[in-house]
Amino acid sequence: MKQKQMKSKKSTVSGDSLMEQLPLQKTCDLLRHRVSQLSTPPQIHGYDQERRQLLDLIRRTGTTGESNSALLIGPRGCGKSMLVENVVEELMLDKEIRDNLLHVRLNGLLQTDDKIALKEITRQLQLENTVGTKVFGSFAETLQFLLDALKSGSHSSKPILFVLDEFDLFAHHKNQTLLYNLFDVAQSAQAPVCVLGLTCRLDVVELLEKRVKSRFSHRQIHLFNNITLGDYTQLFISYLSLPDHFTDTKFVKTWNKHIQELASDQTVLGVLRRQFEFNKDVRSLQQLLMYPVCCVNENHPLLLPADFVDGMKIQTTDTKSAMLHGVSILELCLIIAMKHLTEIYDGELFNFEMVYSEYRKFAQKRSSMQVYEKAVVLKAFEHLIALELVKTMDGSGSRVQKEYRLLLLLVHPSQILDALQKYPNCPTEVKQWAQCSVI
Amino acid sequence: VAETATPTIPGRCKPLSSPTSILEEARARLHVSAVPDSLPCRDKEFDDIYSFVESKILDGTGGCMYISGVPGTGKTATVREVTRALQQACDDGELPYFKYIEINGMKLTEPRQAYVQILKQLTKQKATPDHAADLLNKQFTTRGPRKETVVLLADELDLLWTRKQDVMYNIFDWPSHPHARLVVLAVANTMDLPERIMMKRVSSRLGLTRMTFQPYTFRQLQEIVVSRMKSLKAFDDDAIQLAARKVAAVSGDARRALDICRRATEITETMSPSKKANILVSTCHVDAALQEMFSSPKIVAIRSCAIQEKLFLRAIVAEFHRTGLEEAEFAKLYSQHISLCRFDDLQPPSTSELAGMCSRLGSIRLLLVEHGRNDLFMRVRLNVSQDDILYALKEKSGV
Repeated sequence: MKQKQMKSKKSTVSGDSLMEQLPLQKTCDLLRHRVSQLSTPPQIHGYDQERRQLLDLIRRTGTTGESNSALLIGPRGCGKSMLVENVVEELMLDKEIRDNLLHVRLNGLLQTDDKIALKEITRQLQLENTVGTKVFGSFAETLQFLLDALKSGSHSSKPILFVLDEFDLFAHHKNQTLLYNLFDVAQSAQAPVCVLGLTCRLDVVELLEKRVKSRFSHRQIHLFNNITLGDYTQLFISYLSLPDHFTDTKFVKTWNKHIQELASDQTVLGVLRRQFEFNKDVRSLQQLLMYPVCCVNENHPLLLPADFVDGMKIQTTDTKSAMLHGVSILELCLIIAMKHLTEIYDGELFNFEMVYSEYRKFAQKRSSMQVYEKAVVLKAFEHLIALELVKTMDGSGSRVQKEYRLLLLLVHPSQILDALQKYPNCPTEVKQWAQCSVI
Repeated sequence: VAETATPTIPGRCKPLSSPTSILEEARARLHVSAVPDSLPCRDKEFDDIYSFVESKILDGTGGCMYISGVPGTGKTATVREVTRALQQACDDGELPYFKYIEINGMKLTEPRQAYVQILKQLTKQKATPDHAADLLNKQFTTRGPRKETVVLLADELDLLWTRKQDVMYNIFDWPSHPHARLVVLAVANTMDLPERIMMKRVSSRLGLTRMTFQPYTFRQLQEIVVSRMKSLKAFDDDAIQLAARKVAAVSGDARRALDICRRATEITETMSPSKKANILVSTCHVDAALQEMFSSPKIVAIRSCAIQEKLFLRAIVAEFHRTGLEEAEFAKLYSQHISLCRFDDLQPPSTSELAGMCSRLGSIRLLLVEHGRNDLFMRVRLNVSQDDILYALKEKSGV
């Protein structure tokens, strides 16, 4: 670490490397922006038909004043919000629509009940009962005010685009008042609105009450990523390549060529294939690229296949095994004892006394290790409970004494064996004991 | 500030563009908000409600009527049409003047706000719920100089239910007073609502004047669409019939039929290669719209899963077959998944990865999973039938 810092200091001091560093720094910034989802991706892959449908829908609300409602459904990380943002961005280029369309954004995680949601709507619409960012009036008054405002609107008023993120959470509000009213406005001759819901639940329509469901137009746009491994590799390239108009053309050329080479490298392809097998969505690809992109610095100016392997390793480590590396030998012994108990008694619950006697049997008869007192073992045991490697079956408020509470082991046998392989300086006796339960 | 504010939405800078092609015109007419002047296929109901309200207005008495029916059968639209016709008759001098008031249970934040709404529409006064109830009580139960009849439409009646049912009681009690001159038209979905949720004294005041709106049959739905398409050649006859028959078989909801036809015009527009002036919406377009609106996306969702996710679904089905139960613990599924991986020569996932996969499938509701805190003992159920999973996975491997 120190060496690295020294080196970097040296390179900044020397004048000639300052020029070289500049495009690299910019590259890092750009790639990190892309990978951490702060900017929209360079290109949208697929979804042509869905995009056109959405574009038509919002445009018709803007130009002909047609009221609509639609739901965008797709798994997490498949690009629902990205698509909506992209479509709205494109529509806003049109002057006529930009001047005429009002945009209201709601999120089910922020607007947790109708009261907050209504205030937010009137605030974003800048209706007359708002002064600055404060909304006046009680809940009932705000609702009536909003409904009156929408009712007084006609074809001559500005159309409103409502985007409801996490739509399924809105369906859990009391009586679904907000949804009923929004859909009702969309289905009656009032101010033109377009209600767009974004959700990841496939069965979201079943959450709606029947009269709300009847008012919803049943337009569902499903986003499923049907990408192949080839597309996935293309996405990989497009995420890491630099645009042509980037500062230094020579640098861009060499960088992009390097990325092309990377994409045909067998190691990188192996990593991509593994990730693709597990999770096809684009967000997981971005997460995978995060580590390699962050590795780039002046000492390490190009991405290497090894970086991707490392990144993959970080993502795929089993968290429980990693946690087991950090526990003491005594705690590890207790875990093994618990594993034996669950195996011998076939998944029956156990308590501390049973674990302790199992541990004593091992420690006294088979090992040369120190046999700890009961209090020390209990302390280690409580530590395991705090790590949630062991779970108590009764609630926290139970009156059973600590030693006799019924417990479950939350570690799979394979995880224990896996962790023992890598445990630093693990005594051989413990390893052998883990393998066979007979003492 | 709120007292003086007038509710408005800002106006447009540029007027709306009017429909240019036949399909756009058809779409504008097919929109649910474009309610026609006279509703087709609801003549009998219209006559019944009309004569009921008319007789009450002429006699100067009050009364209640309970109207029920599934959503989208034209209840509110018919009542509104009746009041429009009555208003017309009133303007022509055939009827004495009456006042029309409308409240909707879903548009109120709580049942007692109904008083505030009624009072506001009656006298333009603003008051708290308690005060409004007092004022209304005074107005309806005491003799006064008031001469006109009040017609009250109480939509979504079941939302006005409170534990003491005082709101419902009052609304149905006022008409029975001799000076009230109040006609209440209560609208709700369920036919047996008075017997199910109302107390005896409330349902007895509601009386026995009831009306049920039957779901539309396919002929009626067809007529509704055809009447909106009058003198506009945008639809094939068979196309309308297909839409009407499908909707009538499922729910008989007119909104659904109109939405499907509207979607079909959009599909026709996008599918037609050239901008020809007269393209007809044919059955294949309506069929595409029906597929879009009625089909379940679960099979497609399963097919678009990653390889390991599909394998996990298969592991679940295998585990269910093994145990004969419809529920399995995550630890068992993990073992099953590992052995399936060995069969297919795939790299087995770690438990953390598999748990992530499980929660992903749970978030799109292909699986029903418990809270992740239970970890290895988390119970997993399928939200799709096992046959669907096998069907979706088999088709894929066969290709």
